[in-house]
Amino acid sequence: MYHLLDAEWLKLRKSKITFIMFVGPIVGMILGLTVSTDMFPDEINHWFSTLMVMNLTYALLFLPLITGVLASTICRYEHQAGGWKQLLALPVTRGKVFIAKYLLLIVLIFAMQVLYLGAVVTIGFIHQYTDPFPMEIVWKSILGGWVATFPLAALQLWMSLMFKSFAAPLAVNVIFTLPAILAVNSEKVGPYYPWAQPFSMMYIGGDTKDVFFIPWEQLITVVGGGFLLFFLCGYIYFQRKAV
Amino acid sequence: MEYIVETRKLTKRFGKEFAVSDLAMKIPKGEIYGFLGPNGAGKTTTIRMLLGLMQPTAGSVRIFGSDLKKDRINILKKVGSLVENPSYYPHLTAAENLEVLRKIYGTEKNRVNEVLEIVRLSDVANKKVKGFSLGMKQRLGIAAALLNRPELLILDEPTNGLDPSGIIEIRNLIKRLPSIYGMTIVISSHLLSEIDQIATTVGIVSKGKMIFQDSIDVMRTFSKQSVVVKVNESEKAWRSLMAKGIQGELHDGKILLVDKTDQEIAAIIRNLVQNGHDIYRVEEDKRSLEDIFLQMTAEEERV
Ligand SMILES: Nc1ncnc2c1ncn2[C@@H]1O[C@H](COP(=O)(O)OP(=O)(O)OP(=O)(O)O)[C@@H](O)[C@H]1O
Ligand SMILES: [Mg+2]
Repeated sequence: MYHLLDAEWLKLRKSKITFIMFVGPIVGMILGLTVSTDMFPDEINHWFSTLMVMNLTYALLFLPLITGVLASTICRYEHQAGGWKQLLALPVTRGKVFIAKYLLLIVLIFAMQVLYLGAVVTIGFIHQYTDPFPMEIVWKSILGGWVATFPLAALQLWMSLMFKSFAAPLAVNVIFTLPAILAVNSEKVGPYYPWAQPFSMMYIGGDTKDVFFIPWEQLITVVGGGFLLFFLCGYIYFQRKAV
Repeated sequence: MEYIVETRKLTKRFGKEFAVSDLAMKIPKGEIYGFLGPNGAGKTTTIRMLLGLMQPTAGSVRIFGSDLKKDRINILKKVGSLVENPSYYPHLTAAENLEVLRKIYGTEKNRVNEVLEIVRLSDVANKKVKGFSLGMKQRLGIAAALLNRPELLILDEPTNGLDPSGIIEIRNLIKRLPSIYGMTIVISSHLLSEIDQIATTVGIVSKGKMIFQDSIDVMRTFSKQSVVVKVNESEKAWRSLMAKGIQGELHDGKILLVDKTDQEIAAIIRNLVQNGHDIYRVEEDKRSLEDIFLQMTAEEERV
């Protein structure tokens, strides 16, 4: 497994991955810089209000969308010139290849979350916030947002394995991501819609009784269940794929 | 006999069509096996199944004496392959492409340079493969197939799309391999001429069926000799031979005598002369292996 990840990393390192990883955090940063936080009362921690503003677009749109783009990127060079048939004729099991790709994907998403955290901190420095940095809550948000992408990453990996083109998985992604904007406003649908979870789990205004900003049951059934479903579908699909 | 590759009733169906049917491929150790067949005969499909890239509809594959289904990983450790068009990562250099594979094989680091040397790509090792010519990509593919010092090398149309000098170069390269590593090689082609100088055994497929499989020497014995006689009044001459019970064919004013001994030919010529015919030419027409191959596959087409 280590050798496989090492090989994956070499392929990835030389692709345009860095650029893609910076898109979300940079857009978040621009929003954080330009959008005013005046609508929040002054007694609220400035870090809080900034994060609220930035999270809206980042967690609702960029995080899910870029998860899909990253999934397509790590499959793209295999699709381009017969990479699959070469890779799968090596002494590796398809299961391991699938898991390696998935692990790589979620590590990338984690790195993106950390970059996003960096963007938040940078804004605070630019605005010279004097309020205490709410470490615990920020980490909760960053980690929660990451965990919430697990099912999305599994679905997007599956789609990216299936379709040679970049456009098809992206279309699937957009179709499911856009309704999240409506879903988060609905108490009925919001908790059950997997694409709304990154936002809900990064939403620092949420309930803080649990480890993350959503109840445990929701985390296990919606995020956990979604992950299991998409991961298994992708895994089984890849086992049978003729290359 | 010890077979490196042995398939039993190997079958692959796409929808209603059988791309490969009941194929029994037997490749003895140390041979260079020419896997021949016209376009669409099922060569690539067979090779994909040999590597486990595609599941057979029915039948089994044994390589190095083990079942592919059960022992795939251990088998593939000792196999090198190039399937159809060369595979590569366009955004990586030649050396990086091989490095990706080397990491997975766990071969020692210097092996990358060695195989680049073997296929003579050392000069462009650090160039992106994106810009390579087809011939260079093909050679890179062969380098990749040699990376793990395979005991079985499977090359699917390795000379496809190459110019004549490229073909000769690849052929010479392949010729050297068994002596270096003692490996068994399968090389597919739709042209017999590309492999007749290197193959020791041939398997011919047509429409998914194996129609011939034996040593190339056995195949050569199929190349029947015929003698073409050009005479005046050819039709009359031919009739007179027929009247004497001598089998021949009339073709463009020439008489074609197939599979005759020297004595028979002598008797026929004497006969024609005595009947007052002028003999203009007596030529031997040896069918090339290519003709036999074409005829074999054409016969199959008609069935
Ligand atoms: N994935 C597929 N789906 C459907 N049909 C296929 C598929 N792959 C191959 N075929 C069909 O199977 C038959 C055999 O194809 P194959 O590629 O094995 O032939 P080949 O002998 O390698 O030909 P060539 O000399 O052109 O490379 C063809 O009729 C082809 O159309
Ligand atoms: Mg082919």
